[in-house]
Amino acid sequence: MAPLNPYTYIQCPCSDSASLGRPTDLTSPTSADGDEDNTFDPRAPRANFSLYPLEYLLYCEDCHQIRCPRCIAEEIATYYCPSCLFEVPSSNLKSEGNRCTRSCFQCPICIGPLSVTSIETPPPSSTLLSPDHAATPHSTYSLICSYCNWSSTEIGIQFDKPNGIHAQLAKLRNGGASRLTAKERKERRKELSHRGGEAAVAAAAAVAANESSGGQDVDLETQFANLKLFCNSQLADPSAADNGFSSLGDLGFSSPSSLSRIMNLYTGGKLHDPRAKSKLGAMREALAADEGLLESNLNESSLITRLHQSDFLDTASSTQICSQPPNLGEPHLHGASRFNSSLRPVPYLLRTKRSKRCPVCRHIISKPEAKVQTTRFRIRLVAGSYIPSISIRRLNLPGPNGPAAPAILGDLLDPLKPVHFLLTFKNPIFESLKVTLGAPATTPGRFPSKVTVLCPQFDIDANTDVWDEALKDNDRESSSRSRRRAGTESQFQVEVGKIWERGRNWVSIVVEVVPASLKLEAGQDVLKEDEDVLEIPMFVRIEWEVENGGDDATSGPGRDKDQKEKRELAYWCVLGLGRIKQG
Amino acid sequence: MSGLSSGTAAGTTPLPHRSVANIRSPHTSGNTNPSTPSSSSRPIPSSTFGSPSSLRADEDILILELGTRKLQIGFAGDACPRGTVWFTPSQLRRVGDFRDWSSESKSNVDWKTKKVTGEKWWSRDHELWEYDVREVDLGLIGDKVDRALREALTKYMLIDSRPRRMVGVLPSGLPLPMLSAVLDSLFSRFQPPAISLLSSPVALTVGAGVRSSLIVDLGWRETVVTSVYEFREVSTNRSVRGGRLLVEQTHKLLAKHLPENQKKKANDNAGETEDYELSFDECNDITTRMVWCKPHLSSPKAPKSSDGLPTLHEQDESGVAPVESSTDTSKTVRIPLLSCRSPTTIELPWEALAEPSENTFFDSQYTESSFDDHELPLPLLVYRSLLQLPLDVRALCMSRIIFTGGCTNVLGLRGRIFGEVSKLVEERGWDGVQGKGADQMRANPKLKGKRGSRPANSGPSGVDSPSEGASGQEQDGVWHDAANTAHDECPVEEQLKRGQDKRPRVQGKMRAIESVGAWSGASLIAHLKAAPVSTVEREAWLQYGAVGASKPSEVDQKSARQSFGPGGLMRGSAASNSWTLGVWGMN
Ligand SMILES: [Zn+2]
Ligand SMILES: [Zn+2]
Ligand SMILES: [Zn+2]
Ligand SMILES: [Zn+2]
Repeated sequence: MAPLNPYTYIQCPCSDSASLGRPTDLTSPTSADGDEDNTFDPRAPRANFSLYPLEYLLYCEDCHQIRCPRCIAEEIATYYCPSCLFEVPSSNLKSEGNRCTRSCFQCPICIGPLSVTSIETPPPSSTLLSPDHAATPHSTYSLICSYCNWSSTEIGIQFDKPNGIHAQLAKLRNGGASRLTAKERKERRKELSHRGGEAAVAAAAAVAANESSGGQDVDLETQFANLKLFCNSQLADPSAADNGFSSLGDLGFSSPSSLSRIMNLYTGGKLHDPRAKSKLGAMREALAADEGLLESNLNESSLITRLHQSDFLDTASSTQICSQPPNLGEPHLHGASRFNSSLRPVPYLLRTKRSKRCPVCRHIISKPEAKVQTTRFRIRLVAGSYIPSISIRRLNLPGPNGPAAPAILGDLLDPLKPVHFLLTFKNPIFESLKVTLGAPATTPGRFPSKVTVLCPQFDIDANTDVWDEALKDNDRESSSRSRRRAGTESQFQVEVGKIWERGRNWVSIVVEVVPASLKLEAGQDVLKEDEDVLEIPMFVRIEWEVENGGDDATSGPGRDKDQKEKRELAYWCVLGLGRIKQG
Repeated sequence: MSGLSSGTAAGTTPLPHRSVANIRSPHTSGNTNPSTPSSSSRPIPSSTFGSPSSLRADEDILILELGTRKLQIGFAGDACPRGTVWFTPSQLRRVGDFRDWSSESKSNVDWKTKKVTGEKWWSRDHELWEYDVREVDLGLIGDKVDRALREALTKYMLIDSRPRRMVGVLPSGLPLPMLSAVLDSLFSRFQPPAISLLSSPVALTVGAGVRSSLIVDLGWRETVVTSVYEFREVSTNRSVRGGRLLVEQTHKLLAKHLPENQKKKANDNAGETEDYELSFDECNDITTRMVWCKPHLSSPKAPKSSDGLPTLHEQDESGVAPVESSTDTSKTVRIPLLSCRSPTTIELPWEALAEPSENTFFDSQYTESSFDDHELPLPLLVYRSLLQLPLDVRALCMSRIIFTGGCTNVLGLRGRIFGEVSKLVEERGWDGVQGKGADQMRANPKLKGKRGSRPANSGPSGVDSPSEGASGQEQDGVWHDAANTAHDECPVEEQLKRGQDKRPRVQGKMRAIESVGAWSGASLIAHLKAAPVSTVEREAWLQYGAVGASKPSEVDQKSARQSFGPGGLMRGSAASNSWTLGVWGMN
């Protein structure tokens, strides 16, 4: 198993039981041997949903709280295509869908970008003889992938124009047959009905029937449109409405059981107009393709024959099929969707730039630059600017038998052999921090490793200006801070209750760990994925003081200590230290 | 057709616009949380959402379909969902954990997971629901839904986080605790003012343009046959034969053809647990690409009938011809494999690729009596589902068979099931087996004779028009007889039916039809503003949870008596001030 580098994850406080509407019950586990029941188990399957690397977390300055992607409110600043970088107005999203409607497509085979290329029509043999090749202009175009050389001609699709590919493609089925899009069909119907009267309706039905040629050929979009049209016309039919409502009028409403028996579908709550209950009930069923009724074609023998003649690579992988948008332009494909020839170029999904607000106080905590081309933010309150970062390093102390070998990054941990890790906490804020750590004496799970935090409580100096720091340094040159710098770390013994080293705005402490043995006893199940990773849950509480009146108050010279406001923040984090050697 | 913007029915009080400011953030829930002493006293501003968009969020209704392996979401009124998110093991990882798994470790994980949990199936991490009650972690289900929906909203829906009404499309057999977990997660994380619930069989029925149907859901975990009558689910039958078993069978087949040196070292305790040679993903992939199903006539039970029974007609003839002519046993297929010890390519006979579906769905080498109820071969499952229905319901349902689910992609499978069911109907009629249907038959010998002698005449593609010929009359007879004898139908319903249905319905013969799908059916229902099975409002849910729901039976005693079986009949509340969980509230 590959070794791993130490890491830190933070659990957003929003993910405790309170998230389901019940009150929070995060009793303070700050005492080093915290209540077993309240110890956060990083191995529980649910833990993975609430743990984030520090870089993924934001922070609300007003609520003094961490905000994760699950506890943030989002607004859309811009919609754009990641390929052509064109901004899309929000009104288009509803009508045109969530993909670029220009000419931006991804390859259905390898998701590389497709480009429009003209197809060189081979010149008629006669022109070879004639000196001028003028007779053969580039007349058709195809989409080509420059990575895997896929071409839309492989699915029988060519375009007349090099632009507006999306619109052209919507009218083409694989193989090149043309189809009416929903829009065109709607327009045609409108046209016909403008001519007026019964005849028009009949004509419209005829159009629908013609284009569906018996039903087998009706594509999904058409079937849905036909169903919709049918239902709407049924509901609009005055005789239907009469029957539906009047017959129910007295009997129905005074006798809820019979009503609900009939209109079982509509047993909705108070959100709904009670008269809606009779809506579908007043409809007859669809009887033909132009009303949305389609018979199945269960005869797939020709497809089986095709599969029989196909190579494995003539079929699409599940990944390829999953990245296909729904193909509304074909009849129900069922098993036919497996063939490469059923794949379609994939229009790029649009993307958004989002502003983020604190859901509690409504303050904006992240706001991107409006311009699509830039990835910068105008406002971005990342949690890393407010809560201390923790970095982890393995510490090699001299053993009883002389100096230890230098620790190699990612070395496997020996079971049952004490090992020391150096945790360095770095304070990002301009006030000094009081840090209190709590960790269970043994890690949760089947293989408990022993954990001792040698110094669970300490202060970190403020993240002052570097110049201030230089000045202060002169004053405190002789303090404990510098003593570690004198020699290599292996010259020092770890001391309980003492920090290891201190710097301008950071403090290192030592954690001693005795990794568990991973030996399986008889009858025990094999190791689960990552069960050999030594992870320790640690409860971090930070406290600091700010000027009364909030962070915005200007700090006057005559400030009083009594006016300071105490703040605190507490959260669980998980320290991944390394893998334990197996066997 | 433009009705999207008017998602709430006329006459309905529009919901007050709910701003995200009303989110009950856990951090502000009081002084129980020691970490935020200052935030608890902070007043929550009541300002509305300052969004640049003028679109009112509660005008978009989100349709959310939750299946065993995927979530689909889109706007009500659209023809298809805008996005699909699959439940995968990588979704269970921590954010920022981008470790890429080599195929080798992938298959390790697969079978390790399987062993550790004692679960028979290696595919658990690919599924949302956990039907094993001992193992179930409801919070985890909520988390999975939360993460998948968040991904879908961000990647496909491209909408902000203002609360929107939702319509949930769910399998009707979903146990109540799991439905609760889903609602908990949706209400607490996404703040919809209300969630309406629709069962997928009903949505599928609407999506096919009919009012009654037999839904054959060839699903992942199981195959479920549901009969829907007048938009009500009247019975449900299940068999474990589904996609998961198919992938398992495919693995077996591929492992059998692996060269010896590619096989993993047999474990010490190999006796107890069967090791997997290949990864789940790879077997799943090969199943969707290469597995097919033999047509009906090649089944051993049906020797090629020279007696000219016009049973399976053109479908089988054409189905057999190309396959048989090409089933030169010499034809082999080469399949590249990556997740075995080292990448290799195996070669196996084309015919063998039909074995997995044969074993999974049919198992025709065993006798009928050797199957438990929950493992019936699919033709038998469908036949028995029809058999147990009252005559009139059956007559309608058998002519409105809707195949749905992932395994409809197995080439030839739908035709094979349809063919075998037709044959069973032809051989046995609707008699000979115990059951309600049979009882009714016996009570009316005239019908029995009629039905028994009736040829199962029409094929899937050659359907007679309902108005034409003898079969129409005959069925008419059946229909009226049934209506007279077996029913306590209320006069209103009768009146309604007569009033509307002037054109005769196709009934009494086997016919399969296509539905636009459960998601699209639900989209249509929401578009038509027809009320769903049940609507749960956020406030009520947060206050009471599932306990607050009226038992459908309490609300509607009368229809409870008409249930065809426990949990079968869909009912709901008609009283406006109580709400139910529809079918889900009854188990
Ligand atoms: Zn959070
Ligand atoms: Zn574009
Ligand atoms: Zn490509
Ligand atoms: Zn805030």
